[in-house]
Amino acid sequence: MIEYVVRRVLYGLLVIALVTVFVFLTLRLIPGDVVRLQLADAPGVTQEQLDARAAALGLDQPLITQLFKFLGDAFTGDFGISFQSQQPVTSIIAERLPITLQLGLMALVISIALGIPLGLLAAYKQNSWLDQSLRVVSVAGLSIPNFWLGLLLVTYLAIWFSWSPPLVYRSPGEDLVSNLTQMALPALALGVSGMAAIARMLRSSLLEVMRSNFVRTVRAKGAPERTVLFTHAVRNSLVPVFSLIGVQVGGILGGTVILESIFAIPGMGSMIFQAVQMRDYPVVLGAVVVFGAVFVTVNLVVDLLYGVIDPRIRYA
Amino acid sequence: MHPQPLLEVDDLHVEFSTADGPVEAVAGVSFTVGAEETVAVVGESGSGKSVTALAVLKLLDGGRISRGQVRFDGKDLAPLNPKAMRKVRGNDIAMIFQDPMTSLDPLYSVGHQIVEALRLHRRVTKRAARERAVELLEQVGMPDPRRRLASYPHQLSGGQRQRVMIAIALACSPRLLIADEPTTALDVTIEAQILELLHDLQREYRTAMLLVTHDMGVVAETADRVVVFYGGQVVEQGPTAQVLRNPQHPYTAALLAAIPHPDSAKERQLPAIPGAVPALRDMPAGCRFNPRCAMAWEACTHEVPPLYELPGGRTSRCLLHREGGGSAVVAPPAPPLSAELAPAGPPLTTRKGI
Ligand SMILES: Nc1ncnc2c1ncn2[C@@H]1O[C@H](COP(=O)(O)OP(=O)(O)OP(=O)(O)O)[C@@H](O)[C@H]1O
Ligand code: SF4
Ligand SMILES: [Mg+2]
Repeated sequence: MIEYVVRRVLYGLLVIALVTVFVFLTLRLIPGDVVRLQLADAPGVTQEQLDARAAALGLDQPLITQLFKFLGDAFTGDFGISFQSQQPVTSIIAERLPITLQLGLMALVISIALGIPLGLLAAYKQNSWLDQSLRVVSVAGLSIPNFWLGLLLVTYLAIWFSWSPPLVYRSPGEDLVSNLTQMALPALALGVSGMAAIARMLRSSLLEVMRSNFVRTVRAKGAPERTVLFTHAVRNSLVPVFSLIGVQVGGILGGTVILESIFAIPGMGSMIFQAVQMRDYPVVLGAVVVFGAVFVTVNLVVDLLYGVIDPRIRYA
Repeated sequence: MHPQPLLEVDDLHVEFSTADGPVEAVAGVSFTVGAEETVAVVGESGSGKSVTALAVLKLLDGGRISRGQVRFDGKDLAPLNPKAMRKVRGNDIAMIFQDPMTSLDPLYSVGHQIVEALRLHRRVTKRAARERAVELLEQVGMPDPRRRLASYPHQLSGGQRQRVMIAIALACSPRLLIADEPTTALDVTIEAQILELLHDLQREYRTAMLLVTHDMGVVAETADRVVVFYGGQVVEQGPTAQVLRNPQHPYTAALLAAIPHPDSAKERQLPAIPGAVPALRDMPAGCRFNPRCAMAWEACTHEVPPLYELPGGRTSRCLLHREGGGSAVVAPPAPPLSAELAPAGPPLTTRKGI
């Protein structure tokens, strides 16, 4: 068990390192460089000034040196200094990560809290109009990009109800209502595809379980339908659904980049968006490492919880 | 013989609604099981044995009893509402299924599943129920029963799982145990152990048993009476020894004749007889067995044979009894067998001595 966790953690670190290298190289391939973006508008900049700026940011070093320096520092939790704000990337992330975690968690809760009842209902009322319309909603939910859904939501709420969410961020401590109002739409937009995936998988899983032999055994014991359904069938049908959560976290984290920008939420996502525009390499890379770590951790926790709900799982 | 049978299945019809409309899987089945009696049900695959067994407990998935009665202790179960039916299941009548690998919930311990069965019908504390579960596991021959309580199904072998199923079935001391091919999925040595266990426990608990099986050897050894199914109907029934020694229905005769070594009728598979069971949708007119029957003659293709009562508490569904009046199966009385009617049947001469 401990051996399993250690192995998974090491494996996770490797994955994060590889992703970081990939993003590092990709960033350098995008045209436009940070020094010009920073100084281009200043009148009468000389080549010497540009070179000095590049040297100050460490960009005069060979690429490979820069890469290893970043990886080495990152391993100790130091992602360098933001090119833009001149603050340590670590402290910027420390400020922004909780906001994104809140948003992501809300999205996850929405997808589970809506997905499970919808899936159960669809299975229970199999082939009814309810099931049919849920199927349409699910397909739509799975295929509409979350940022587009976010835009639709703000647009139509504004047109129909002349309502728009607050555009100035307040922390939950400052003003919980304002905070939740601002977070609600992006969380919904981020959660819908997960909701659709959960509902669909749960529906088919429950229908399959209801036809299984052990459900017949429970009925043959004389159990009421409530016991058949909730003690046995639903619990079994949730096993495959549970694995969706890990996958979903990846989608939610990715979705925050644009949705936080649309809804003016000062989290990791909007930070990445700006940093990419400004070629603020340390910030982008720091965010990639942190998102990678969140993703790897969530998936490890999900896999460990699997053993709690399914006794057949053995960690080896 | 028995003043009032424990179970009386009377003209049972079971209908399934399918995409192509309703099909009748069981068409007028009647038989009885007396208290503490063992009745074997045999017949080819698809003849309606499982459907009949499930219909007794109304556990049909997508099917319903469309006609007839299932009387238990004189009371018809067919019209019972789900709540009343639940009081019967597991309590008066328990059931064991064919596939022990999938018949237990993989997410719950063996103990939980036995305790659940007990507490559904008996007002006992969890602790008392667990003690009873240990006792049951011991009775079904589970090694180290107390520790096994915490085991999950995937930690047990097929034979052990079937023992757990038997423990669950016996938890509330039912008066009738329905076992639908309880050993088909197990290997031969385990099969013998499980059958012996069932036999012993049946005596101990004074339970009647309806045993669906493919194994004529098992029938011969364990059953008081045997019911032969064909095409969703009972074609013959009677005391085991008589039916096996002197079958009255051509189908039973063909089944027995097809056993390779009649002396040691220990075949695991039901012996194969030529031809195939017709599909539910195109049951032949007249006698359902006529396309495969070596004795068939012209009348068999349009006259539906009724169940004839024969001496010795036997019945048989064959037109031969109309004139024969219950004698052993002999050459057909009317126009002799045409090749067309019995294309694959063995020649009559080989059937002498049945
Ligand atoms: N849920 C169902 N829907 C439609 N038809 C069904 C259903 N269950 C059983 N049948 C049909 O009923 C007929 C009898 O099936 P049954 O399972 O009783 O056969 P059996 O005698 O138990 O065979 P086996 O020896 O293979 O177990 C078969 O033709 C089968 O296709
Ligand atoms: S009625 Fe005719 S076809 Fe049917 S079993 Fe008897 S002889 Fe054979
Ligand atoms: Mg069967």
